[in-house]
Amino acid sequence: MPGSNLVSFIKKPSVMSLTSNLPVSLNVQLGRLSLKNPILVASGTFGYAREMSAFVDYAQLGGIIPKTVTREPRAGNPPPRTVETTAGLLNSIGLDNDGIEVFITKHLEALSLLPTALIVNIAGKSTEDFVVMARRLDEFNPIQALELNISCPNVSGGVDYGTNPTMTAEVVAAVRQATSKPIIAKLTPNVTSVVEIARAAANAGADALSLVNTFQGFAVDWKTGEPRLGNGLGGLSGPAIKPLALRIVWQVAQAVDCPIIGVGGIQSLDDVLEFLVCGATAVQVGTANFYNPSLSSQLTSGLEKVLQDRGCSRVQELIKTVKVPKNQRKTC
Amino acid sequence: MSAVQQKARVLLHEAMAKNTFRLRLDGVELATTITPGQFFMVKIPGENDPLLGRPFALFDICKDAEGRVAGLEFGYVVVGKMTGRLAQLQAGDEVEIWGPLGNGFPASPGGRLVFVAGGIGQTPFLALAREALGVQSYPQQNPRKVVQPSSVTLCYGARNAEFLAGVEDFKSVPGLKVELATDDGSEGHRGYVTQLLEEHLKAPGEPVTIYACGPEPMLKAVQKLALSYNATCWLSLETPMACGFGACFSCVAKIRETTPAGEESWDYRRTCVEGPVFEARELIFENHP
Repeated sequence: MPGSNLVSFIKKPSVMSLTSNLPVSLNVQLGRLSLKNPILVASGTFGYAREMSAFVDYAQLGGIIPKTVTREPRAGNPPPRTVETTAGLLNSIGLDNDGIEVFITKHLEALSLLPTALIVNIAGKSTEDFVVMARRLDEFNPIQALELNISCPNVSGGVDYGTNPTMTAEVVAAVRQATSKPIIAKLTPNVTSVVEIARAAANAGADALSLVNTFQGFAVDWKTGEPRLGNGLGGLSGPAIKPLALRIVWQVAQAVDCPIIGVGGIQSLDDVLEFLVCGATAVQVGTANFYNPSLSSQLTSGLEKVLQDRGCSRVQELIKTVKVPKNQRKTC
Repeated sequence: MSAVQQKARVLLHEAMAKNTFRLRLDGVELATTITPGQFFMVKIPGENDPLLGRPFALFDICKDAEGRVAGLEFGYVVVGKMTGRLAQLQAGDEVEIWGPLGNGFPASPGGRLVFVAGGIGQTPFLALAREALGVQSYPQQNPRKVVQPSSVTLCYGARNAEFLAGVEDFKSVPGLKVELATDDGSEGHRGYVTQLLEEHLKAPGEPVTIYACGPEPMLKAVQKLALSYNATCWLSLETPMACGFGACFSCVAKIRETTPAGEESWDYRRTCVEGPVFEARELIFENHP
């Protein structure tokens, strides 16, 4: 019978696949945003992508997020803008950029031609800033999503959007109205409860949450009393913050029903997997781009191999597989 | 120019002066594409402290007995965490490097060339002198055009004689005049290296082109002299840098520009991409007004 032949034809490869390479789907879904794999690069650590061209195979990335764009040009903070701390990097770049119009004329076309998803990160001083930029970018089809930087610790004169759930909800909801594109809210860890802010962003319509931006820090030369950064305060990134970011990803994943993009100190495939297991659907490689510029595009093949070795056909099978801590498993 | 990221082995590690060492690496790919005044980043693979790479200017490329490019050298002074770690490296150890990075010094335009070096800022001038005097060409892969100069002088200043590094290397370049200065007079002229420079600017002859690298107060003094004598002047900056290839926007310097409306203004430019070499008249020094 033709039917039984068909069945055996379909069955054979799946039996073989126990010993050979099973095709693995790295595709992930972040709300309305679909990515070919979960490896992204964090805004502010990848320039406008062209800076990385000698080191990175863009096609291997799930997407790229260029440096934050603001409505008006910003000179950025006075140098020194970075100082290295133990296993970390403290920065106060200050969103140095030429503003949205120059971004469109100077960078957008080149970014649009790259063989990977383009997510544009925007920051504003007001909800109106965010809305105006979201509307302006809405017409550009190659932009697949917007990431709202409501968490940069280096630019606000007063309270950041991301430190207040009401303001977070307001800006996410307003941008949701202003654009048809998926929205990612990038949150700050510098709050008492990221869960509360995350819930506000999710309820207001965020497709995904990037967790987390840098941790506020300070460095000083005790001999002179001079702060080491021109701006004084800075944001800490790098391997030093990985456990801190992982804690937040894990807690938010338990409490809020919204896809998470994990970011904080990732510098190896193990780090990527830890974030996925703790509840991240995708990750961003950040500071490691500075000291291992070819890393990001090497992670995808490594991830595929790990999934094959574990017999997973989809990356989703790994996500949020973290177990309940041992001392909480006992029933009384 | 396209940069590469590669592992490289230490071929040679030796003292050049007090607290000053030279490292020779087998980074052939990088060595064939680099030009004088360009730099590359060096990182200890797999270590988180120090975490970032550090920029080092090319001292010179090296060749084997058959004249093939075999590696490249840089010099460093032990001042901090990374240079302290570098000092422990032995022949055969592996480091990670990426480059070539930055614009580097322009090739000789002819006339009189005066190189002004302060401290470890001497690093880029060996290769630049060899190029200007026809000993070596850069990049090896596709040599750039050099106009033969009428003279090439290195004015090199250090705290004292113990810190003068690589003087024999410089003296071995045929045609290179080496003038030394030390703060205490223990070697050469007692005083600032910029006083040596001014003698050249005062002397009649073909136009002087200045190339300088060293501490910021020295660069600022060179800038002042260049402007007052109306000499073309290239200054190489060292600023705190995280990546070296333009992604992080850490290493900015204030550069003069004219707005579309014709007003005098300034903007931050990345030392690693738009520099490290800038024309003296476009630089605004912030820390030493």
